Amino acid sequence: MKDARTMAYINLFAVLGAIPYLCQLDPASAQLIAGNSVSIGFSVKGGPEATLFFGGGQCRMVPGTERCQVKLPFSSCEKFNGLIDGTVTPIPSKGFTKVGFLLGPFTKLTDRLGAFLKPAPGALSDPEFFRVSTTLMFHVIAEAIAQVANQDTIGQFSASNIVDGTAKLSIAGGPAAALCCRDHRLTAVHQAPEQFLSYMEFQGMHLARDLFDGQVNAIAAVGLGQVRIGGMISQIDNINRILDRVAVYLA
Amino acid sequence: MKINDYSKSREEYLRACKVIPSGIYGHQGPAEGCYTPVEAWPLFSSRAQGSYFWDVDGNRMIDYMCGYGPNVLGYHDPDVDAAAAKQRQLEDCVTIPSTKMIDFAELLVETVASADWAFFAKNGNDVTTLAVMTARAHTHRKKIVFFKGYYHGVSPWTQKMDYSGVLEEDVMHNLYVEWNDFDALAELFDRYKGQIAAVIGQPYMHGNFKDNELPADGYWQKVRKLCTDEGAILIVDDVRAGWRLDLQGSDHYFGFEADLICFCKALANGYNVSALCGKEFLKGTVSGISYTGSYWLSAVPFAAGIACVEKMKKLDLPKILNEKGKKLGDGLIAAGQKYGFDLHVSGMPSLFYLRLADDPSLMLHQEWIAECVKRGVFFTTHHNHFINYALSDEDIAETVAVAEEAFSVIRQRHPKD
Repeated sequence: MKDARTMAYINLFAVLGAIPYLCQLDPASAQLIAGNSVSIGFSVKGGPEATLFFGGGQCRMVPGTERCQVKLPFSSCEKFNGLIDGTVTPIPSKGFTKVGFLLGPFTKLTDRLGAFLKPAPGALSDPEFFRVSTTLMFHVIAEAIAQVANQDTIGQFSASNIVDGTAKLSIAGGPAAALCCRDHRLTAVHQAPEQFLSYMEFQGMHLARDLFDGQVNAIAAVGLGQVRIGGMISQIDNINRILDRVAVYLA
Repeated sequence: MKINDYSKSREEYLRACKVIPSGIYGHQGPAEGCYTPVEAWPLFSSRAQGSYFWDVDGNRMIDYMCGYGPNVLGYHDPDVDAAAAKQRQLEDCVTIPSTKMIDFAELLVETVASADWAFFAKNGNDVTTLAVMTARAHTHRKKIVFFKGYYHGVSPWTQKMDYSGVLEEDVMHNLYVEWNDFDALAELFDRYKGQIAAVIGQPYMHGNFKDNELPADGYWQKVRKLCTDEGAILIVDDVRAGWRLDLQGSDHYFGFEADLICFCKALANGYNVSALCGKEFLKGTVSGISYTGSYWLSAVPFAAGIACVEKMKKLDLPKILNEKGKKLGDGLIAAGQKYGFDLHVSGMPSLFYLRLADDPSLMLHQEWIAECVKRGVFFTTHHNHFINYALSDEDIAETVAVAEEAFSVIRQRHPKD
């Protein structure tokens, strides 16, 4: 049911792509990158390429590895997915002088990311941990929707039925994202769009969390007014079908 | 005007959610029903009569969904109900069928232009599925052509590869083509030479979230010829439009003959029966298909169906329904114009589709529909509507008045620049 290449796109752009938001949301993570100026590129043969740039106390991800200082090549999507699973240790092909950041702060950063994305039992009872974890999950899911829509065979079928325009995803009182559809390809923009063709808003962080964790059914939540949908609902309908696929990959 | 309160509907919905998946599943539920916002709609009804139903809070709704089609003569039509009650005194679901089944089949063969026989089931999905099985059995081919935006039921073959619980293998022989694009259809037949068992289509495009689209001049005639030339079966899914366009079948209305035609919804004014009708050359094939159900030969729905079809014929019902639909559509358009709104009414008047063209996102449209519903006119935001015989001139006038007030409310909310 899962395709390794799609998984690699999710792992790079959605999971590692959440590191910039982690650095914004979590003071301890911000502390880890403070004073560092380095870029790490991930180059997956037959798969995605992107670079994480750290500098000025911030982090951003950019597609491609042309400008990276440390480059981590992977011979296959499966190998790269192994990095995320913790079963593969990467070996840089360039940037050995910066390897200290890779082995030190970056490893701690990814450990922290893992702690928020796969919380230990009881961790979510801390309100601040809950807020950061749920916000990160939102960004991971929003990005994963775009990756599944563009890479996964079934996701592409769903995207083929999405009309051009922007869908707004949001949590009331929390994060928002725009899923921009053009020619049946999706791009995730991790902020609220000014204009949108359709929307899906979760009532609050706790409801969003329950939906992410599969504790609440989205259809019932619509009936209860806990999830608001509107506008060109066919867009939301197809995005929801992609969300079903995202759940398969992120399970 | 009174704004409806739905407190009891909400209470009942909470009760339902505890024991029923998503509270109300399917098209009559708030999610698939696209109730936007959900608070504007009643969720449970308590009784119905004529062109109205009353919800559990006691609100009377002028019902333009008609149970999503079955209510064609009016809820509790006295002639249909009397025929059903009379049959119920005799028998309904018994070990061997009543001869009412033969009577009903004879009536359909006499009435429907392309019918040489009739096979009965319960839901539209039952007979669309039988139609596809028949086409495959007859042609020994696998591929089925669908027009994009289609709806033919809920069996896996009618769904899409990204639907929950549907396998890619379930839909691997489905081919899709744009409605009204004959060249694309012809190209599909070239590409899959000798592999296409059937083309299945509704008589015109009822797709949701967009204006409904009638067939282009000569389109169905070309499709008919192509199917004949290529040895494919032409299936008309008349479940939704059937009996509201033409009592001889919607294929007859558009001037062609289907090989197989599927009926349900308006067939028996709400009594649960569906029918597949077809040409003589497919009768033997259908006989050889193993296909049945516990309630499919029940006599009460047959009696109701006979009374319903006879009454529709006596009234020349499609003409009346289209006149009522036209009157309503014109009234709604004028009400919109009064407040500067561009309301589009598409499809046949007897099953009209509404869209406020001022806003491509449909959010304005959804606001307007919600204001109508809150005032007792049951419209939907995404689906075509249905006219029934019991709808009176007074109902239409009341609907237009409600629509006008709803337009005034959203104009206040969204002033013109």
